[in-house]
Amino acid sequence: MADKASTQQAVSLSDLPLPQLKQVKTQLEEELNFLTTSYAKLRKAQATFRECKNSAAALTPAAKDTTTLVPLTTSLYVPGKLSDIEHVLVDLGTGYYLEKTTQDAIGFYQDKCDYVQKSLDKLQETITEKQNNLQSVVNVMKYRLAQQAQSEDKGDN
Amino acid sequence: MSLEAKLEAVGKEFQTIQHNLSKTVEQRQKLESQLQENEMVQKEFKNLNDDANVYKLIGPVLVKQEPTEAKSNVNKRIEYISAEIKRVEGLIKDLSMKQEKKRKEVYELQMAFQENKEQ
Repeated sequence: MADKASTQQAVSLSDLPLPQLKQVKTQLEEELNFLTTSYAKLRKAQATFRECKNSAAALTPAAKDTTTLVPLTTSLYVPGKLSDIEHVLVDLGTGYYLEKTTQDAIGFYQDKCDYVQKSLDKLQETITEKQNNLQSVVNVMKYRLAQQAQSEDKGDN
Repeated sequence: MSLEAKLEAVGKEFQTIQHNLSKTVEQRQKLESQLQENEMVQKEFKNLNDDANVYKLIGPVLVKQEPTEAKSNVNKRIEYISAEIKRVEGLIKDLSMKQEKKRKEVYELQMAFQENKEQ
C-alpha cells in the first residue's frame, strides 16, 4: 500500500515542472517543521509525566516523617513533615484533581507515559515518511537542474 | 481605472475571508484539544468510587466536589464542546466556499485587467 503510493508519487513528481516542485518542497518542509515541533513538545510532556511518576515513587515508607522544605513561592520555603505517604493529589486536567493512592498515581502516570509514547511512535513514522517524500522531491529537483545545466552547456557549444 | 479599484476591493475581501478562515480553523483546533482533555478526565472519572475525593481548582484554591457532580459537569462540558465543534465546522465549510468563490472572482478580474492592459 505504502509502496504503491510512493511509486505513484514518484511518477507524478517527475512530471511536475520545476516551480511546482519548489512549491511542494516548501510545503513539505513546513509540514516537517510543524511535526518536529510537535514531537519535541510531546517529548517534554512525557518527561514531565515521568518526573511525576518518579516523585510519586519516591514516597516510600522510608520517606515517612522526613522533613522537607515546601516551596510557597519560588524563593520562599517552609519546613514540613511528610505525614501521609499513602495518598497524593493527581491533576487530571481541566482543573480537576483526584485523590489517589500513591500506587495508583504511579500507575496513572505510567499509563500517561505509555500513551504519549504511542503518539510519539506514530509521529516518528509520519516524520520519516515526510522526510522520504522531501528527499525524493529534492532528488528530482537536483536531477532536473543538472539536466538544465547540461542542455545549457550544449547550447553554448 | 475602475477595474483596478474593483480588483483591489475584491482582493481585500478575499484576504479578509482568508484571515477569518484561518482564525476559525485555529479555533477548531483549540476546541479539539479541549475535547480531548475533557475526554481524558471523563475516562479517569469512569471508574470512580462515590467516596473518592475529587477537588476542583477554582482560582488558586482546591475545592472539594462530589464525584457525581464532577462527572456530570465533565459530561456537560463534553456535550457543549462537541456542539461547538459542529458549529465551527459549519462555519469553516461556509468560509471555504466563500473563499473559493472570491478566488474565482479575483482570478476573473485579474484576467480582465490583463486584457485591458494589453489593449
